[in-house]
Amino acid sequence: MKKSTIQVGGKTIEIHQDGSGPPVLYIHGIWDIHTLQADPFPFHEQLAEQFSVTMPVHPGCGESSGMSDIVDIEDLAFHYFDLLDALDIGQATIVGFSMGGWIAAEMAVRNPERVGKLVLIDSAGLQIPGALIGDLFMYVLHRDGGVMQELRELLFKDPDSTIAHEIIPDGRVNIPDEVLRYKSVTLAARVGWEPPYLFNKKLLGRLHRITSPTLVLWGEHDRLIPIANGQAYVDNIPRASLQIVRDSGHSTIIEQPADCIDRITAFLETGILPASDAPALAPAG
Amino acid sequence: MDTATPATIPNRANIFSWHFMPWPYLDESFEENYESGWVTVPNSLFDTDKARGLYQEYLDELSYADELEFDGVVLNEHHQNIYGLMPSPNLLAAALTQTTKNGKIVVLGNLIPLQFRPLRVAEEYAMLDCMSDGRVVAGFAPGGGHEPYSYSYSMPLARERFWEGVDLIVQAWTEPGPTTFDGKHYTMRYVNPWPQPLQKPHPPIWIPGSNSPETMYEVANREFCYFLSTRGKLAGAKRSAVRFSEIVEEVGKEFHPHKMGLLFSVYVAETDEIARKECEEAVFYFTRYCLKGHQRNAGRRLTMAPGGLSPQSWQMYLENSVVGAKMLGDAENWNDIDEMGSIFVGSPDTVYEKLWEFVTEANIGNLLIQFHIGNLSYDLTQKSQRIFAEQVMPRLRADSENLFGERFPITIADNVPA
Repeated sequence: MKKSTIQVGGKTIEIHQDGSGPPVLYIHGIWDIHTLQADPFPFHEQLAEQFSVTMPVHPGCGESSGMSDIVDIEDLAFHYFDLLDALDIGQATIVGFSMGGWIAAEMAVRNPERVGKLVLIDSAGLQIPGALIGDLFMYVLHRDGGVMQELRELLFKDPDSTIAHEIIPDGRVNIPDEVLRYKSVTLAARVGWEPPYLFNKKLLGRLHRITSPTLVLWGEHDRLIPIANGQAYVDNIPRASLQIVRDSGHSTIIEQPADCIDRITAFLETGILPASDAPALAPAG
Repeated sequence: MDTATPATIPNRANIFSWHFMPWPYLDESFEENYESGWVTVPNSLFDTDKARGLYQEYLDELSYADELEFDGVVLNEHHQNIYGLMPSPNLLAAALTQTTKNGKIVVLGNLIPLQFRPLRVAEEYAMLDCMSDGRVVAGFAPGGGHEPYSYSYSMPLARERFWEGVDLIVQAWTEPGPTTFDGKHYTMRYVNPWPQPLQKPHPPIWIPGSNSPETMYEVANREFCYFLSTRGKLAGAKRSAVRFSEIVEEVGKEFHPHKMGLLFSVYVAETDEIARKECEEAVFYFTRYCLKGHQRNAGRRLTMAPGGLSPQSWQMYLENSVVGAKMLGDAENWNDIDEMGSIFVGSPDTVYEKLWEFVTEANIGNLLIQFHIGNLSYDLTQKSQRIFAEQVMPRLRADSENLFGERFPITIADNVPA
């Protein structure tokens, strides 16, 4: 990945770019590239094999400045419009994961013409009765002096898997990555801790404004943002399809990168939305 | 009483009696069944029959401290927990304005981000200052860790709102109204609170902090008192006091021990043996139950809500701490309690020596002492306070007066409350 910085509305923004082919803007999540670790995961590398990918770092995260400019999700949506302007992109194909998907949806309801094809992966943003987003701010803290099991449960299908423990170990990871993570959770807390958690009450009623064909990818076992949230996105965005990723929790891009890439590639290359998976097939929890 | 001129205050250590007002009726099953005494601890444990009279008892213990001529009493604000039943410390402070006569009433502090408008805090403290004839010490806090969970507010935004709210309150007290206030988080067309505090320019302001340089600079610049809210050993307190005094001088102000406060727990009795025997159960009630979820590893600790520190301060914290390091609540036996250096139990001599170290070595000028510990009985709380007032307090006062006179001489003219 080629790393650089650009100036966006008075903020210095760290940006990673790689690959060739049709351009894709990737808006990262809370636990993702730039936030769990600086380096890309296989998902991001594979995405760059198919597309010309731009992966900016949120204000206040990584080496980007401007955390204090962000007090709600709208600030992030407008920040990303400024970023499109700075990069001279008129209409962007956007892939957003988790909080990144929420930002993309907030952009698409405001300026539908700026968003081409849209991919929302396990995205926050909605408040669905009976399927509320989990309390990541509580479970990001150690239990019993070092145990992170509940966070692994929120983020992974199998909290006891090797990958879950590698990414969210008990105790601490190295200090630089701990600081990256702290910045990411701090930004998430700025836009998503009041009201709790990570939603904008007004978003659901605005989704009808989205004109983009929208692929909604969701981990079958997402316990942080239950799949009913994905269903609600699809029910309210005029042209959208829900695709359920098997054997995955919230961290779909980490747990099932190849499946995600295949579906994203097929959609972005053809612009054709597959039929939605029936939500009834998705077991709760 | 001429309230326009602040009374001079003696140049010695100030000694306060602090009450947490815990829920004192838990049993062993609590340990097994609940991961925390905070936020999620079910309020079905609150037994209304047992609750009857509890506040009266606790208020009496503080009124008694005033009779014993402590420099003041201390209350604080916590929500949805068994550690402290004071979601509104100002209500209890109001009661104490009527039952105490001499000492300060320190509210440490009101949680600014919980208020729709911080003006409310300016108004309530002004009322308390009038009701107490100018005895209020106004504490402000952003909420340490549990409160963002209890009140569903954003910890990092609370940090910003906090200092803005403090500035709004000071403006409300010092600039003749009506004025306007225009901040990032609070905007008010009319700032003009009635009543105004009696103390001028305003009541002393204390701010709790946990060693972050940002807070120390903000406090130093505004010439407030820094209360170190992390309990700890002498060495840690000394480091903090040195760092804070350096920052005070760096920003061009003068350090005095009255600008620094620290919390201790004390139980004093005739001898070391009697003291330990009388308070041991209560001390472990406090560490095992009240501190569960706060200063204890076992269970779910919510004290460091994410976003409560800047990334720089977080990095500093990571570099200077060890995961799972023992905290006060992890004490397994009496040796551990001694080792933690924050709960002092013993004869008047023993307790004097422990506290004196903090005065002489760390220049702590405000000793905030918890006498009611855990489920300590009313009688023993009163007894410990009485022995302390008769046999420990006079020595600490006399010795600190000599010490401060040498190290931090102050003239009458500038001897106004911090």
